[in-house]
Amino acid sequence: MIEGIDPVIHVPKRLAAMAILANAPSASFRFLRDHLRISESDLSKQMSTLEAAGYVRSTKDGHGRGGTTTYRMTAAGDQAYKTHCAALRALLDGVVPQQQ
Amino acid sequence: MESDEIRAQLAMVRRAEAAPYIDHPPTPWWYSPVVGAWVAAMIGTFTWWREDVGLFVGSLAALVVLELVFLTWMRRRHGALPMPGRGTPPAEIAAAWRGYALAVPVVALVVAATWWLAGVLPAAGVAFVLVTAGLAHYERRYAAAAAEARSRLA
Repeated sequence: MIEGIDPVIHVPKRLAAMAILANAPSASFRFLRDHLRISESDLSKQMSTLEAAGYVRSTKDGHGRGGTTTYRMTAAGDQAYKTHCAALRALLDGVVPQQQ
Repeated sequence: MESDEIRAQLAMVRRAEAAPYIDHPPTPWWYSPVVGAWVAAMIGTFTWWREDVGLFVGSLAALVVLELVFLTWMRRRHGALPMPGRGTPPAEIAAAWRGYALAVPVVALVVAATWWLAGVLPAAGVAFVLVTAGLAHYERRYAAAAAEARSRLA
């Protein structure tokens, strides 16, 4: 794996979700689904992976059809996202060595 | 990783980072006059400042609760409401925000001067007109900036 590249964030759907969460205090499930253009089950899976990594936290308001789930980025997620993006930029500039 | 792949990922990141600022439902027509009326009402409550403290505090509290309800509704409607200090807005949106930040103290000064020269109720009236007109202008400017950013990042 390349130094600084986070395998959890590297998946494009998760990277896009993290990019959104880095620019808003919270994002709803609906907003993420509509922007990422993926199915609800796929989004649930991707967000569970980010949550398991400690990069996002979810909160649920209400129950059933009227209930909403919102996500917030954690401090660890914020740091991981910034490091990942910096690594991508550095890689593009050809300054990051690949780990053996 | 190929450099084309990295470029594509970074372009996708830029588009996703901009999403909270530029992908949102249109602002309802009543937004500017309602916020103008809310600010005017906040100023208007000072009519009771010395006459009836209970009414003054009660009205202020009711208006604050109304604002919180409104913000909650707006956040839910938007889905990912951006806030200054969190993230980096696209340049077009940053310019619109700067205009807003510059206009707020000017409006506050004009309202304060009206209050000082003519009293609370004329100040509330001036606040309603300036806030309604100012917000309507800002919303038009923001919508144009968002369209510009959307087309640049497409």
